[in-house]
Amino acid sequence: MTGAVEETDFVLVLVRDLARAQEFYGGTLGLERSPSSGDRWVEYETGNLTLSLTQPETIGQEFQPAPGIALRVADVDEARQRLEEAGVQFPAGTIDSGVCYMAPSADPDGNGLILHRRYAPRNRGAA
Amino acid sequence: MADGIGAERVDFLTVPVRDLARAEAFYGQTLGLERNPNSSERWIEYETGNLTLALVQPEAFGMEFQPLPFGAVALRVPDVEAARAKLREAGVEFRGETFDSGVCNGAMFDDSEGNGLLLHRRYAPFADGRQP
Repeated sequence: MTGAVEETDFVLVLVRDLARAQEFYGGTLGLERSPSSGDRWVEYETGNLTLSLTQPETIGQEFQPAPGIALRVADVDEARQRLEEAGVQFPAGTIDSGVCYMAPSADPDGNGLILHRRYAPRNRGAA
Repeated sequence: MADGIGAERVDFLTVPVRDLARAEAFYGQTLGLERNPNSSERWIEYETGNLTLALVQPEAFGMEFQPLPFGAVALRVPDVEAARAKLREAGVEFRGETFDSGVCNGAMFDDSEGNGLLLHRRYAPFADGRQP
């Protein structure tokens, strides 16, 4: 299958309450809502990836949280503080992994979100 | 983005695995994704073009394994049926038939660990008139 996969078109994020999720992703996180969004399937753009939010019953599924979407921010501590002011919890605080800073959290449904900033140089050959 | 936290992009998506070697074989060989040289022993990254998939074993970090839901990651391919046939030849099982949503074709399958993936190709124009 080498070469067949071109891109990731979207990642599905199941939410129990679409209105509440829109307030979080659009308002609290400040992501751009895509005009492709409908009543029951709402898309947010993150720059490189579309997050598609829907309630599980819309697609005949049970709720299952996503483990971790890592959002790049300029300053993890600053972003974390802003979200804490908005009531978002960060039980592990900010972690220094040795190559990056990470602050794990979650959306109102428990879908994992990680504020992320790599500081170590990348050692990959390509850009 | 004036409000919010000024998120710039998604740096990676965590993909939980039970067996790292088995998952590496699936993502690297069966799906043919490029392995990122930034990978380490317990954190293995595969590139999909725009998104990095980070394979991590939650049980190694004292956490519970919970797979991604069905169709969680939509992988764009030139032709869903052709890609489906190739994966079936490689032993991958699909959930149901290839579907037509009215804007796209899709075929749902699981990775080697039970995470939900989707072969995807949009054919309808986008809301702003762009062709897919």
